[in-house]
Amino acid sequence: MKKVLKLLSLVLVIALIGASFAACSKQGTPGGSNASGNSGSSPANAASDTIVFAQGAEPRGLDPALVDDGESSKVIVNIYEGLLKYANDSTALEPALAESWDVSPDGLTYTFHLRKGVKFHDGTDFNAEAVKYNIERQMQGNATEEMGYADFVFGYVTKVEAADEHTVVVTLKDVSTPFLYNLAMSMAAPMVSPAALEANNNNVNEAPVGTGPYKFVRWDKDQSIVLTRNDEYWGEKALTKNVIFRFIKDNSARVVALNNNEVDIIDGIDATVVDQITAAGNVVDQPDGMNINYMAYNTATGVFTNPAARKAFSQAVNVPELVASLYQGYASPADTVLPTFVPGFSPAIKQVAYDEAAAKAGLEAAGVKDVHVITYSNPRPYNTANGQVLAEAVQGYLSKVGVNLDIEVFDWTTYKEKVRAGDYDICFYGWTGDNGDPDNFMSLLSDKDPTMNVSRYDNAEFNALIAKGKGTPEGADRDAVYAQLEQIQVDDNPWMLVSHSKLLSAYNPKIKDYYYHVTGNIFFSGMSKS
Amino acid sequence: MLKYIIKRLLMLIPVLIGVSIIVFVIMRVFSPDPAPIVLGQHATIEKIDAWREANGLNDPVHIQYLNFVKGVFTGDLGNSYYTKTPVTKEIFSRFPATIELAVSAILFASFFGIIIGTISAVKKNSIFDSAGMVTALIGVSMPIFWLGIILIIIFSGTLHWLPSGGRIDPLLYPDKITGFYLIDSLLTGNMPAFKDTLLHLILPSCALGMYSMAIIARITRSSMLETLGQDYIRTARAKGISEGRVVRKHALRNALVPIVTVIGLQLGSLLGGAVLTETVFSWPGIGSYTVNCILKSDFPVVQGVVMLVAITFVIINLVVDVIYAFLDPRIKYAKKEA
Repeated sequence: MKKVLKLLSLVLVIALIGASFAACSKQGTPGGSNASGNSGSSPANAASDTIVFAQGAEPRGLDPALVDDGESSKVIVNIYEGLLKYANDSTALEPALAESWDVSPDGLTYTFHLRKGVKFHDGTDFNAEAVKYNIERQMQGNATEEMGYADFVFGYVTKVEAADEHTVVVTLKDVSTPFLYNLAMSMAAPMVSPAALEANNNNVNEAPVGTGPYKFVRWDKDQSIVLTRNDEYWGEKALTKNVIFRFIKDNSARVVALNNNEVDIIDGIDATVVDQITAAGNVVDQPDGMNINYMAYNTATGVFTNPAARKAFSQAVNVPELVASLYQGYASPADTVLPTFVPGFSPAIKQVAYDEAAAKAGLEAAGVKDVHVITYSNPRPYNTANGQVLAEAVQGYLSKVGVNLDIEVFDWTTYKEKVRAGDYDICFYGWTGDNGDPDNFMSLLSDKDPTMNVSRYDNAEFNALIAKGKGTPEGADRDAVYAQLEQIQVDDNPWMLVSHSKLLSAYNPKIKDYYYHVTGNIFFSGMSKS
Repeated sequence: MLKYIIKRLLMLIPVLIGVSIIVFVIMRVFSPDPAPIVLGQHATIEKIDAWREANGLNDPVHIQYLNFVKGVFTGDLGNSYYTKTPVTKEIFSRFPATIELAVSAILFASFFGIIIGTISAVKKNSIFDSAGMVTALIGVSMPIFWLGIILIIIFSGTLHWLPSGGRIDPLLYPDKITGFYLIDSLLTGNMPAFKDTLLHLILPSCALGMYSMAIIARITRSSMLETLGQDYIRTARAKGISEGRVVRKHALRNALVPIVTVIGLQLGSLLGGAVLTETVFSWPGIGSYTVNCILKSDFPVVQGVVMLVAITFVIINLVVDVIYAFLDPRIKYAKKEA
């Protein structure tokens, strides 16, 4: 009898555990996987029909309006499209879902002529109403706090009208040429199926429906996202049938996965693993990224209110040598604020050249002796060493010309507070571009917010040119404005430019037509695997 | 016995209240404000404040706690701040992976741990004993993340025998029934998936189980040594029972009580999330996910996971106590039977 009782107890406990597991699986079923209603079985048979890409973190979500991270962006650009897109090797604008567009002479009204015959992955039509729905979803009043880029991308929009089935008219409250660049961004701008948004309570983070070359199949949380070719795609169909995004957090594990042929492409690597990758016969890709790493002089108070002092200080630093030794070839010395692929880049601009003797004389004349420097302790996307290492490298050069740098180092959060307070002669900073428009970089020097404009630079001529650039339509006239702005930066020298950091990724040589876009996105539809 | 189990289950209530208060206070006192993390670099002060208001973070802490408790009773643990997905869904899509790994690791650890411990005890002071205990010492001392990386480099990077990480080849997912890939692939007769899951389990189970194996081997050895010195063992030998039978039937069974306790405790902590192993092997479990959520101040998720782990711990300890009664008939839980 006792034994029976014991047995009964054990069965009861096991049943209890079983029940909780059953609850797990029941709750889990509608989770990450099978969101598309797919049976869950293998979407592909042949491995060569599949490209596997490993990234360092899981996307936050797949609703372009609700995310702001680069990991989400890499998946999003393969599922969705915007009205405009960037060229393959630059941030020049090209038509995408809008075949063409007209801008009214006052620069306030944009008319987009939409591509015909485009369907969302759920079979609904892409048309003017869909565009209106997407933009209105993120306009002031409708946008929720979670829509991090809504204000940046659509903040100027006051009205959207569907003039007819394939024509959309957007009215802005002020002139803004960057608006067009915003429409090519992977955040906020991509067009989502209105039907899907309505069916999913205005959040398609786990049920993305776009018009792009790949369709969403499944997402297994913390493991992978599977996409498959959209065979009804309006343009050139994707060459490879399936794309799998895997999430491998550990850097060395990601490298092993590539070298072990488990994945075809990895990104988020640093210079230390390059040899290991190339030794295994894989290829490292390293285009310049859309960023700028700089040292800023405090132009509002202290010794560097004098432009001659700033210039002399910049002359004391051999920037190309510093960049080569600090970044080992994985960043290029910056001659312009704008990276080379951003429209408005002018190859003629050159920064102040290294000249130790002139620097010494200039600094003595300006009375620069002791300089208070603040910097950050952690690596940043534009500075893969860190702020401290960079500051100490500069300190080395300045000691040669008799100037003493007193460096204070802070973690990033504290550092931003210090920058806001403004108690420094020099600080280190940088910027990663949002939309590929030159204004996005150059207007930092006219911004009223001291955490953006860390030089606290205020030049009426510069500010007027920024306003002019914002209102000038794309083309040679606008490019000339940015060349002028770059020249003022050189002459007045509120910043000493350091480098443009490169984007490192690596791939198996079996991948054909590989490219990693300058915005940090990776587009798979043109790639194939032999 | 049944009364005992019910009593133990009722003990869950004060445990959960205590645990929830502790995690609630710790997250709110020591974690950075989630609003700027969730809203990103374009967040303004007004937006941050609106978001905090909408998520109830401007309420006094005790009101927030009461709202959380209310949610627990209605089965609603809230949504993840970061992904907006319900917490229960986020947790339960990852928990089966953690259980599968923890159970394989503990099976590995128990199997080898008990064998090594028993041999060491039986062949005390021999070369086997020394080898076994050196293995145990190495297992206890080796950092898991380092062992994991070494295993990956040897078996994936160099020999190319085993996959370096993940739970299964994404092209082989079995249809989802229980969330446990080994079980699902068997149920659906998907043998390639079963094989692939097993291959993916080997390295992380070894890395994760190594420490537990070492502990189990040591406990087994000392417990066996104690048992082997008992009078009834001498009696058994005197009766002419074969040495193998003496060790298995008479010594090991009696030595098992402390071993089972250790196995239970080890399993409990492995289920709590093997953070390092999960990170190194890209294992989609609850451990590395929770750490990410702690770093992002994703309060609802962290609270949910901690509650779940507390419940798991209590249940496993209960199971261990019930197993005692089977191993050692002298252990009784009900007064009537005493």
